[in-house]
Amino acid sequence: MQRNALPRLMHAASTRPLSLVQHEEVFATTQRPASLIDELDASGLTGRGGAGFPTAIKARLIREQRGHKFVVVNAMEGEPASHKDQTMLSTHPQLVLDGAEYLAAIIGAKDVAVCVARDNPTIVNHMERAIHERSRRSLRGPKLELHTPPWRYVAGEESALVHWLDDNESLPQFRVSRPHVLRIGHAPVLVDNAETCANVGLIGRFGAEWYRGLGTSKSPGSALVSVTGAVRHPIVLEVSLGTPLREILASAEADTNPQAVLLGGYGGSWLAGEHLDLGYCNEELGLHGVVTGAGVIVVLPRNACGVVETWRVVRWMANESARQCGPCAFGLPALGEDLKHLSTASRDPLGAFKRLEERLGEIDGRGACRHPDGVVRFVRSALSVFEHDFNNHAHAHACAASRATTHYASVPHLEREEELVWE
Amino acid sequence: MGVRRRSGSFILQVNPILCDGFGHCGELAPELVTMDEWGYPIITAEPTPYNDARVHESARYAERGCPRQALRIRRVSD
Amino acid sequence: MIALTTPYLWYTTRATGLVALILFTAVVSLGTLVANRIGGTTVGRFEINELHRSLSMVAVVFLVIHIVTTILDSYVSTGILSAFIPMTSAYKRLAVAFGAVAFDLILAVWISSLLKLRIKNSSWRFIHWFSWIAVSTAIVHGYLSGTDARKGIGLAVVVACTAVTLAAAVWRFFGRPTRAAGRTALSPLAQSVASVSTTPSPQRSGTSRPSTQRPTNKPFASSQRPNTKRGR
Repeated sequence: MQRNALPRLMHAASTRPLSLVQHEEVFATTQRPASLIDELDASGLTGRGGAGFPTAIKARLIREQRGHKFVVVNAMEGEPASHKDQTMLSTHPQLVLDGAEYLAAIIGAKDVAVCVARDNPTIVNHMERAIHERSRRSLRGPKLELHTPPWRYVAGEESALVHWLDDNESLPQFRVSRPHVLRIGHAPVLVDNAETCANVGLIGRFGAEWYRGLGTSKSPGSALVSVTGAVRHPIVLEVSLGTPLREILASAEADTNPQAVLLGGYGGSWLAGEHLDLGYCNEELGLHGVVTGAGVIVVLPRNACGVVETWRVVRWMANESARQCGPCAFGLPALGEDLKHLSTASRDPLGAFKRLEERLGEIDGRGACRHPDGVVRFVRSALSVFEHDFNNHAHAHACAASRATTHYASVPHLEREEELVWE
Repeated sequence: MGVRRRSGSFILQVNPILCDGFGHCGELAPELVTMDEWGYPIITAEPTPYNDARVHESARYAERGCPRQALRIRRVSD
Repeated sequence: MIALTTPYLWYTTRATGLVALILFTAVVSLGTLVANRIGGTTVGRFEINELHRSLSMVAVVFLVIHIVTTILDSYVSTGILSAFIPMTSAYKRLAVAFGAVAFDLILAVWISSLLKLRIKNSSWRFIHWFSWIAVSTAIVHGYLSGTDARKGIGLAVVVACTAVTLAAAVWRFFGRPTRAAGRTALSPLAQSVASVSTTPSPQRSGTSRPSTQRPTNKPFASSQRPNTKRGR
């Protein structure tokens, strides 16, 4: 493979997942690094699941622990607008498993658990076959297991996932301080996103120097982005980190003059359309308080209403709360309620607007996981990006776009409305 | 009770999963805890020195008085 | 063991037994008040909780006196063993057995509460449910073994304790509060329910390159939802 050319993760991708034999041909190892952890350190790889934490630091933290350990590959893909993990697993499942095995070797784990949402049987099938192929080839290496928790937004959160593996409950856990070592029983767990694992697989095969051939110096490598919204087809692209957003949108055949884009997922932030010349990497986006997060870009065209889109997402996110913590269980529906008053014609939109701003400060940082914080960040970014719209809505001048029936930030159907009610 | 002098400071930390909004902490330690509109505690993030015996005592009352044992006093290293 | 033949021991046993019964009924009722979140305006919720906890200490003291005097008293042949193990007493075997069961359960609840900050909240709450069984058996014990329980004030006390405990139990188990019950008026929940309407989202189909894998819809697996914490 070439040092500075795309595609990497999507190299030789086809409509079928690569078999183990094909995989070994396509990704023929050029250099086997002496020390995997040093190589991982040198590569500067950061997690692709949303938090963007340096993978090597996390791996070192678990490596210091003693006893039986687990590697968990998180391919739950909680973000409804994200399709990158399922694309990864339906093209290169073996590369993901490669990375998981490298990580297991680094931390000294004997078990690897691959977690795929059971609601996506195709991916479950691909993964089952990939694991079967590996176990037929050799019995050395860590034991690979497939786990299929039900799909929910918070089920992909790492502590909820570990809770599922530990106790069959997809509920986030409380962590006294961070970083926190999650455990299955007493065994420490290293949780990494599927795309992160695929990147580790590449680093293990071609080395850190090769890996840094793409991307910027602070965010090296490439990343998968799922582009949805005002786009011809929802699409998953591999981009080199630091590529200008406008270029990404152009190659996704999306609206290149949008009102705003949503970056990072539904716990991420809106970015105004004027800033499209920024590079897609955390150091440039961070200046505007935006992160790449889970690699989601939702394109919002000029003829859409940001207030309504925000309301729809918040309403869905409120419904996805695990309802363990009061501020999340009560606060998020309250935010949704305020946004509803703002987006539809109501009696007191100005009061709702003021209440919304107060409540944002009240909810921030008070859940056991980052779910409420993500929603707060999302709404805050909406308040600054769509400031003009929000002001109009607050003074009962709802825009014409808010009555449109097409929406761009897609959310799964709220099939069970009674979800919001509990005893 | 003698006056105990301890160095360092503490924060009162709530486990939001255990917390069910009984509201006892707000009554026991109003210096540290305010209530949100749903009855769940908002706890001040700033560390309190242990020297502040009055606040430390109410924090200990709140810790013991919580019906869900969701509160813990945690030492902050600084 | 020293056999004491003074009648005052027997009087003490009867009196402390009666008082302990009243106190435990009060403790359980106060516990129900705490669990159902009563108070907050004129009487602090924490005050009810404090009363519940300190009164339980007093009740345990009375219970211990009740048991010690029973053992010491030579009028009834009840050893230290039968205070803990049911059906070992020569005197009123069944009645004392109920008392032993109640004492064991109260001991469990008491010790778990002393260790409250050290054990898991869920274990403490599980053990605390047994106080209902404890107080019920205590009432049965009082009625069966009580020398004074069949007439006059004694009967009145037993009947009153039964009534209060029953009322508290009905309130606790059937009038279960939702979370933050005191604040439901402020809770946005009631309105939010109506606000959720299903809006079709047109963006859920299409292809993703380079695979032609269709991004699958992710419906809720209704039967496989993770358990969310329900009200209690």
